[in-house]
Amino acid sequence: MGTAFRDIKISRRGFIKASAALGAATALGSYAGSKNFNPAEIFGTAQATPATTVEKIKSICSFCAVGCGYVGVVEDGVFTKMEPWEDHPINQGGMCCKGTSLVDVTNSPRRLRYPMEKSGGKWNRISWEDALDKVGGKLKGYRDNGEPDSVFMCGLVHGSNEEAFMFRKFAMLYGTNNIDHQARLCHSTTVAGLLASFGHGAMTNSVEMLTQSKIFFFMGSNAAEAHPVLMQKVFEARDKGARLIVADPRFTRTAAFSDMFMRFRPGTDIALLLGIINVLVEHDWIDHDTVDYRTYGFEQLKEVVKEYTPEVVEDITWVPAFDIREAARLMSDNAPGAVIWSMGATQHSVGTYIIRAFAILATILGWQGREWGGGCIPIRVHDNVQGATDMCVLSHFLPGYYGVSSASSWEYWAKVFSETTSTSGNISASTLASRYTTFTNKEGVETNLQLTPGLTVSNWYKGALMQPVSEIDQPTNVKMAMFWGESISSITEMKEQKKALEKLEMLVVVDPFPTAAAALPERSDGIILLPAATRQEGGGSVTNTGRAWQWREPLVAPLYESRTDMAIIKELAGRLDMGNHFDYDSYEAVTAEINLGSRAIGNQGETPERMKRQKEYAHLFDPKTGKAQGGPVDGEWWGLPWPCWTESHPGTPVLYSDLLPVSEGGHDFRGNRTYPTDEPNAGRPMLREDEPQYGTQHVPQYSENGVAYSMDLTGAIVAKALADGNPPTGRGKMRIRVFEQTDKIPIHREPIESPRPDLVDKYPTYPDQPHLYRIVNCEFETEQQRSIAEKRHEKFPIVLTSGRQVAHHGGGAQTRSSELLSEITPEVYVEINPHLAAGKDIREGDMVWVESARGKIKVRAKITERVNDQTAFVPFHWNGVFEGESYQDRWPENTAEVVVGDSVNIITSPGVDQVTQMQETKVALCNIYKA
Amino acid sequence: MGVNKFLIDHTRCIRCTGCETACKTNNGVPTGVRRIRVVTVNEGKVGERNIAMPCFHCYDAPCVKVCPTRTLYKRGDGVVNHTKEKCIGCGYCLVACPFGAPQFPGGGIFGTRGKMDKCSFCVQPFNQKDEQGNMIENEPIPMCARFCSTKALLGGDSTEISKQFRERIAGFISFSF
Ligand code: SF4
Ligand code: SF4
Ligand code: SF4
Repeated sequence: MGTAFRDIKISRRGFIKASAALGAATALGSYAGSKNFNPAEIFGTAQATPATTVEKIKSICSFCAVGCGYVGVVEDGVFTKMEPWEDHPINQGGMCCKGTSLVDVTNSPRRLRYPMEKSGGKWNRISWEDALDKVGGKLKGYRDNGEPDSVFMCGLVHGSNEEAFMFRKFAMLYGTNNIDHQARLCHSTTVAGLLASFGHGAMTNSVEMLTQSKIFFFMGSNAAEAHPVLMQKVFEARDKGARLIVADPRFTRTAAFSDMFMRFRPGTDIALLLGIINVLVEHDWIDHDTVDYRTYGFEQLKEVVKEYTPEVVEDITWVPAFDIREAARLMSDNAPGAVIWSMGATQHSVGTYIIRAFAILATILGWQGREWGGGCIPIRVHDNVQGATDMCVLSHFLPGYYGVSSASSWEYWAKVFSETTSTSGNISASTLASRYTTFTNKEGVETNLQLTPGLTVSNWYKGALMQPVSEIDQPTNVKMAMFWGESISSITEMKEQKKALEKLEMLVVVDPFPTAAAALPERSDGIILLPAATRQEGGGSVTNTGRAWQWREPLVAPLYESRTDMAIIKELAGRLDMGNHFDYDSYEAVTAEINLGSRAIGNQGETPERMKRQKEYAHLFDPKTGKAQGGPVDGEWWGLPWPCWTESHPGTPVLYSDLLPVSEGGHDFRGNRTYPTDEPNAGRPMLREDEPQYGTQHVPQYSENGVAYSMDLTGAIVAKALADGNPPTGRGKMRIRVFEQTDKIPIHREPIESPRPDLVDKYPTYPDQPHLYRIVNCEFETEQQRSIAEKRHEKFPIVLTSGRQVAHHGGGAQTRSSELLSEITPEVYVEINPHLAAGKDIREGDMVWVESARGKIKVRAKITERVNDQTAFVPFHWNGVFEGESYQDRWPENTAEVVVGDSVNIITSPGVDQVTQMQETKVALCNIYKA
Repeated sequence: MGVNKFLIDHTRCIRCTGCETACKTNNGVPTGVRRIRVVTVNEGKVGERNIAMPCFHCYDAPCVKVCPTRTLYKRGDGVVNHTKEKCIGCGYCLVACPFGAPQFPGGGIFGTRGKMDKCSFCVQPFNQKDEQGNMIENEPIPMCARFCSTKALLGGDSTEISKQFRERIAGFISFSF
């Protein structure tokens, strides 16, 4: 097998050393690194000699978006150990079990070692050339046939910013908007909700700034399990007296630390928030300095919340009216506060509106826009999901949040692709446009697919299964899908996905592990697996949840035959005659192109040199604020959080806070909106009305001769804004009322599957929407009524919700391939309240069926008071078992994960968000019975 | 200077188990052996708390007293360590230990009960000898505590960690009044 591992740049001894450090004694036979893996088999004879080179390299954790730093110990080219990076301002050395298992995950013997193809019912090893020719050839075929929309690409959430950018650029130049990534399922509603409210769609504070909060309102976030190290900052604030309120359907591990816990019915988030706002308004516990001058729509909000009295809300949400009043009082007594959420709030059919309600709450309390420590804290999930969102691996944006529906976005990026010195290619906007197709839609309207948002991660399978033109806004079906570091078990409707995966002409999985996408479909041919390097083997920048950019150097060369995402994208581009747009000579060259083009959110200052310098001088940054004092990084904020307007700008730690001059990191609500037509000052720019502490009054977003600052490649407009002391985005208003959305002020709407048909009458979901993300008729009301007509609330009386386990990540391909993490959490389970269990004669440890209208899963019962007797909870990281049947044998040999389990996303709700197609995983109806 | 000790702030431990995997990653401890384990009391109820349980390196260590082969011994810096070579796997230390710290890997080359392994304050990994057969001896700097995600687990010189903890509490007191 000597030649098999030509890409390995590690010594034979080094690998043995790695396995030795990992698995002390192979003879024990139960250790990570030792199972199914015999170094002698790969390297010939094994001998042991001491390591000759030991390197210690600072890097960033590749699991969640907290962005913890660590020091990787590399002995003779093998990642063998980890040391804490104790002066890293975010984690100060601390890491959760996922982070401290990185050695085990990286060196996992279950990794995909070489490209493989499934043909004739068997997994066969193929060469890289062969594999790339097959994938490239297929892509080329569709394009040359004028059917580029037959392809759906998704992923790169665990890539660097550079690779995410390259992936988006790849799809742009290829000719389809059918490109998306996991952010669709994590925080697409956050982006839509915050963008509509404030002007940018990201977390408003840096992680470090959380230490400045006086109160935390966790709603739909179980940070103690999902983002453990973030709790370090929360506890630091608590040491200075900060309070914790947790609202959640479950008494989570985070709730265990709360001063106040509100258990509410899944899917009634907006009602609860409006109830709290009702009390705030009633007592006038409102920050008028903010609301009167810097918001739009407060009067209309007052009208809407009138009917959401604590008593009305109690009936909808289960939360006692007294508690709602108490929560409002606590919030008004302790400012500034941080509203913290994660998937518990975003994954709803009303997700975007829940987020808008958060934005409203934080603003009217005066938490947002002023002091440090206050604000909206959506904690992102994957190490670079913020970065991949910013690079817009999304079917409705081009990199840097330039909307696909505007021709000027395409012209702008064509110019960037031509002007960049990082690649040799040139392309005109018209050539770019010519690669896209048009078709006549169901209503006979000519549709330009370049300007139409593409399919999403949550509805891609519809693209494969539904009828072109009559059911989907595409001239063809999706016939080829690429899952690039994307887990299908985190996507709902797994049964439909399975059908779609089986119907495709070609399925491509690019991942360090084969993942369930490769194993789930029962097909004998047409799957290609490309082994991707892990983040420990690739470089580039990574953006944490607080918009901070951190630079990663590869710790080791890609193991086995795996290749970096960058290398794979380059190869594929070459096969599609687009190589001249991808001839970057380094990660840094790609960063330079991002610095050049991504202007809307101000990515000009995040240069590789500055990021590397920060890494070197990490000790100068204050972990309580993230600001550096002294040295060459004096005054900079950790990670140069965007907007970082120029190469000398320090970054913006708190969005919309005008406490600082813009040159030091100050900001303001975005001034790019005008008043709507139903207003007396219709058409006038919507601007803040008081005098700002710094800068000037009445400043709309900067532009010159009709060119916005965001499209000015010279940077002159930004320079002018900074000289004026203003953010280039102007000084606008936070919008409580968003006139372009269905609900101008958020209102309660029952989830698609509701246990309360009486409330559905009163608070129905949205009418069906036409032409939404390529779905001709996106069903909302129809689906909700179907649930009622089928009497699902009687057949399936328990509300099912899903969530995370600390030891696993996403679909679990990495973490369930680690023996360390599998030992900590070896199983999937359903949490059942003791009362409910007693009534059904279910005991701790019994196997039970959890059934919904979509199907059923077989999992172990965990009897606990975390949930009440009307709710059940199942973690979602699992696959390898489908409706009780194991399919571990469909993985290529020796790659199946250590632990497997049934997938809750077989049975979760079919609902999606009305604005972004976010899936509604947090509310479905189910029943449970003994298996 | 004091002796080496652990201090566990149960108002902070969130059971992220980072300490457990940090220990395993750096000490090569196999599955089934848990030099440190986080336990939860009152799970799912008000009063739920997590406590990381390593070996507490007792001053007058019962395990050392009862060990018939002197596998277990007390070092001058407070660390209670063991010499695997001498262990006969009787399990008496587990009986004596008030905290369930000693671990016994099952099966494998050590026979049914296996030689005892326990937290060594990171002085020695699971395999006590290096590739040349020399006894490894590292500085007593516990990886679990250094990697603790919330700084709930403090480990090191007892004077130093008690100072750190007092500062934390003092901070809280000063802000409460
Ligand atoms: S998973 Fe998140 S919290 Fe855990 S170590 Fe990695 S970045 Fe930190
Ligand atoms: S093993 Fe038990 S008895 Fe011995 S020192 Fe540790 S905690 Fe004390
Ligand atoms: S690392 Fe710290 S917070 Fe996490 S389980 Fe261990 S002691 Fe608790």
